[in-house]
Amino acid sequence: MDLFLQTLLNGLLIGGVIATFTVAFQLAFGVLHVIDFAVGGWVVLGGYLGYYITAWLGLDGFLAIPLAFVLFGALGYLIGPVLYNVRNSRTARPELMALALSFGLFTLLRGGMLTAWGFNTRNVTTALSGESLAIGPVTVPLIRVVAAVFAAAIAGGLFLFLYRTRYGLAIRATAENRHNAALMGVNIGRLSANVYGLYAGITAMAGVLMGAIYSVNPEVGLRYTLFAFFVAVLAGLGSVEGALVAALLLGVVEAFVSTYVGASYSLLAIFTTLFLVLLISPRGILRRGL
Amino acid sequence: MALLPANPQWRSLVLLAIIIVVLGVLPWTVNNYWLRIATGALMWAGLACSWNMLGGYAGYINFGQSAFFGLGAYVTAFLMSDPFGLAFPVTIPAGMVVTALCAVIIGAPTLRLRGAYFAIATWAFAEVLIQFSSAMDFTGGIGGIGLPPYLNERFFYFAMFGAAALTYLLTWALFERSRFGLKVKALRDHEPAAEAMGINTALVKLQTFVLSAVTASVFGAIFAYWVTFINPKSVFGGDITDQMVVMVLLGGLGTLWGPAIGGVALFGVNRLIWMYWGDTAFYIAILGTAIVLVVLFLPNGIAGLFERRKQNALDKVLDKLVGSGEGGHP
Repeated sequence: MDLFLQTLLNGLLIGGVIATFTVAFQLAFGVLHVIDFAVGGWVVLGGYLGYYITAWLGLDGFLAIPLAFVLFGALGYLIGPVLYNVRNSRTARPELMALALSFGLFTLLRGGMLTAWGFNTRNVTTALSGESLAIGPVTVPLIRVVAAVFAAAIAGGLFLFLYRTRYGLAIRATAENRHNAALMGVNIGRLSANVYGLYAGITAMAGVLMGAIYSVNPEVGLRYTLFAFFVAVLAGLGSVEGALVAALLLGVVEAFVSTYVGASYSLLAIFTTLFLVLLISPRGILRRGL
Repeated sequence: MALLPANPQWRSLVLLAIIIVVLGVLPWTVNNYWLRIATGALMWAGLACSWNMLGGYAGYINFGQSAFFGLGAYVTAFLMSDPFGLAFPVTIPAGMVVTALCAVIIGAPTLRLRGAYFAIATWAFAEVLIQFSSAMDFTGGIGGIGLPPYLNERFFYFAMFGAAALTYLLTWALFERSRFGLKVKALRDHEPAAEAMGINTALVKLQTFVLSAVTASVFGAIFAYWVTFINPKSVFGGDITDQMVVMVLLGGLGTLWGPAIGGVALFGVNRLIWMYWGDTAFYIAILGTAIVLVVLFLPNGIAGLFERRKQNALDKVLDKLVGSGEGGHP
């Protein structure tokens, strides 16, 4: 029973961190209409930033979080318009081309990181690394709890921004119907750049947290891209609220499969679920997808 | 090109004849090293063509084509090694059947949805096959499977040559010269309109996908026997799909000869890098850069350079008819 509770809590905590970047991923899809393969790349880049801030500057890994947002937010702000232009270009197949572009970007990030940093895994070191927290019969690494709290704060901030500000309203309107939003005076091109920047920044922040919980190497990006896709399909593409639920579910499923069946089967279980959802309810379990 | 006849049809026939003769006598004029490179180039040209069937003609991007290449390779390896020890020619149809089944299972639900769902499903399928074959005992785990070695470079050269020639012949006959090809192109250019014309788009897409997957599995089977040893990364690896995507984009999406041009060009670059730097992660970065650059600056590929004017005119007509294509259809 203790193991069960422990696994459940671990899964929920990890799911919370996954939720942060998958919510942003859904937002980017809703506005840009591009499935971004590069999502795993942003996560890994954030993790490396967390590693290097300790290795080079001797600072605590958590300090990399705001820096990741600024740095990769800016980078995303530069890439966003390119994706937007390809998606809305007048070539014969813009959706396919945009998909290929994001895939190319992901491959470029992965290859670049492998070339620069090799296959070795790195850890993000923080003051809390190695500490653990006992809640009744359950012991969890303190870092996971803190990471989940950070993740909740980031996601909460994002939701406040989306639902309590005028700009958030514009983003939601665009995600719902781009054409009508444009008629209401929303500058879709600029908004897309901003949203992609926001998404890249948030994803990199989640990457720092992921790097602190697990370790990071260029190849794990594939895994995070699969996570984002899994959540997107489960929630329905573009559904931000659904992503929150689906990410927590993913964290729990992954934890249980890893604990009770074996870590090498976790991706297999995730894929099987993904496939069954596609088969039974293609617009997501909440039937909210685009 | 003064030596060639002026009539474009005759000119392509003469060019084709020259290519076939050159490829036919190649095994007797070069040493084994270059023969292996030629065999690889033929394989990649064929694989790129198999990807192009769905990606280029039907407009659905498959990011997991390596899954089907790998399935062909694994079925052949599994059936040829102990305890079965079947003959090589028998294993190819077996691989084709397994691949076709998997393609139907993956394609039937996802091809009805937006292209993005299909891209996700195929990509995830390939990643999972890596995990699956690494975890299972009957596939040899991470270590992989060895096959009985057969050291006859000419055999493999002609096997690849035959498979590639058949692939291109099939593509030409089915996608360039038949009603089926017209259906496929119609659904690519405007799916709701194609449906309104009475085309069963879901079925046509599934047929194209299965054809594309089965073709890749044949190359996988020959590849496994050729290299005599396979493991999950070497046949299911994402880099294999990456290469196919780059080759087709580079050569020209939805053209008959684009994949051949892109395939030979990229494979040449691959071997050059391999010769000078060995097996390097830098190549993955180059692949990524190539995809980005081609999408941004050469969306119609190398083949598109020759018929750019025609394509632009077609786009203008399409734009007038369909409008700017807001979100909606894939």
